[in-house]
Amino acid sequence: MASAGALDLRGVSKQFGETVALAPTDLSIEPGTFVSIVGPSGCGKSTLFNVIAGLLTPDRGNVLVGDTDVTGATGHVGYMLQKDLLVPWRTVLGNITLGARLTRRVTASDKAQATEFATKYGLGDFLDHYPGSLSGGMRQRVALMRTLALNQPLLLLDEPFGALDAQTRFDMQQWLLQVWRDSQRTVLFITHDVDEAVFLSDRVLVMSPRPGRVVDDLTINLPRPRTLETLTSPEFTALKATILRQLHAERVQ
Amino acid sequence: MNWRRVLRNVFGPIVSLAAVIGIWQAIIVWGHVASYIAPRPLVALQAITSNWSILWPLTSWTIKETVYGLVAGAVIGVVFGVIMAKVPLLARTVYPVLIMSQAIPIVALALPLVLILGFSLMPKVVIVAWIVFFPVTVNLLDGLNNVDKDLLTLARVLGASRLKTFFVIEVPGAITPLFSGLKIGATYAVTGAIIAELAASSGSSLAEYQRAQAGQLNAAGVYGTTILMTAIGISWFLLMLGAEYMATPWRRRSVARRGWRSGKQKVQ
Repeated sequence: MASAGALDLRGVSKQFGETVALAPTDLSIEPGTFVSIVGPSGCGKSTLFNVIAGLLTPDRGNVLVGDTDVTGATGHVGYMLQKDLLVPWRTVLGNITLGARLTRRVTASDKAQATEFATKYGLGDFLDHYPGSLSGGMRQRVALMRTLALNQPLLLLDEPFGALDAQTRFDMQQWLLQVWRDSQRTVLFITHDVDEAVFLSDRVLVMSPRPGRVVDDLTINLPRPRTLETLTSPEFTALKATILRQLHAERVQ
Repeated sequence: MNWRRVLRNVFGPIVSLAAVIGIWQAIIVWGHVASYIAPRPLVALQAITSNWSILWPLTSWTIKETVYGLVAGAVIGVVFGVIMAKVPLLARTVYPVLIMSQAIPIVALALPLVLILGFSLMPKVVIVAWIVFFPVTVNLLDGLNNVDKDLLTLARVLGASRLKTFFVIEVPGAITPLFSGLKIGATYAVTGAIIAELAASSGSSLAEYQRAQAGQLNAAGVYGTTILMTAIGISWFLLMLGAEYMATPWRRRSVARRGWRSGKQKVQ
């Protein structure tokens, strides 16, 4: 699994009619890294995501996950949205193993793994609960466990904490970092929140619209584990300022 | 079992039933209604019990008609609903025909059916199914078309086949509207059966019994039969309600029961 989570985009582009949703893009992501994408609406980050997930076939270029060309094919990433998309008729355990149920048979080892994940990350007492009885934060945890459960080396998270209140959000960010560190997956994380991007990531990609493209690629060298202190350190503030300037500059143009 | 909840759920219906009977009684007594026009509630009930040996075979016949019709209607309704949800082009073509089918007055439908099927059980079952399938199809179609699109996208990203997605996501997602359709159908099933019994008269049926009682100016018999018919309709509705209750545990409890369903002991 050493190189399994590597992501390579080679000259990937996508156009909808006259609109260039994604200009030709080359991108290479090391396995096991945490990469965030920030940018205003219409900057092509969703297009980029959908191309990587295989929901969209790019007009040109190739998508490689690990050493496999997966251009236009689905079934090779974990995927999570702002909506938790838990199904109300299955328990927490049933929701975590939903991916297995959708693609093959749910085995005893699927259930054992789901139970292990859930127990390790604070959901152990809720395995038999229906999602209807869980808070927003808990639901997102279950959704992330489901995303992990298929053992895909690459996870695409599209604003997963966008709907949570600030306190829950910070808890969830800490929690996500712990899960990510333990699981050694590659994470591609879309967010509107620059603080969140800098706090979580090894690398932040700044995107810009018309045409949608990556305009900046910053390495975040803040020490890990990251804590509350990280958020107020001068390095953090400097990085945040750079990105905000970048986003603002793109907007004025 | 939560007795307080049971009490709360049973209390309402009992009160409303008592109110209906009370008002009925009051109208007869204080309105000085003649007994050949309308009986008191108890007299109507006695008209059932004292004639039970005659009424039971007729009632069981009507029950049979409604059960067969309900099952057939539910199956046809589900098949139509699924096909129309999956093949939109077909939906646009078939929908007008289905609506037309429901615009035909049932009585006008019964006579041609008698010509085709005779006076057997068949025309009654067909008419009940005819009434039942429509709300099932319409509700199931709406349910299937309203399953969260993002959930379907998620299934696609994970690499699920269309068949798996249908059974794992779409069917359970549409179960509530499906039961709405079934509950409506179950309530109307008796109406269909009685109209069919009148139109395709086979000599002995609840509908004809009632007509005969009216001919003899036996108001108690007429009202008693009506009560019996109503009871059949309510029974099927309650049966559907019970089935829905069993099929949707997540709507009433926050924790699933461990057992035959989720199976196995707790994996430690």
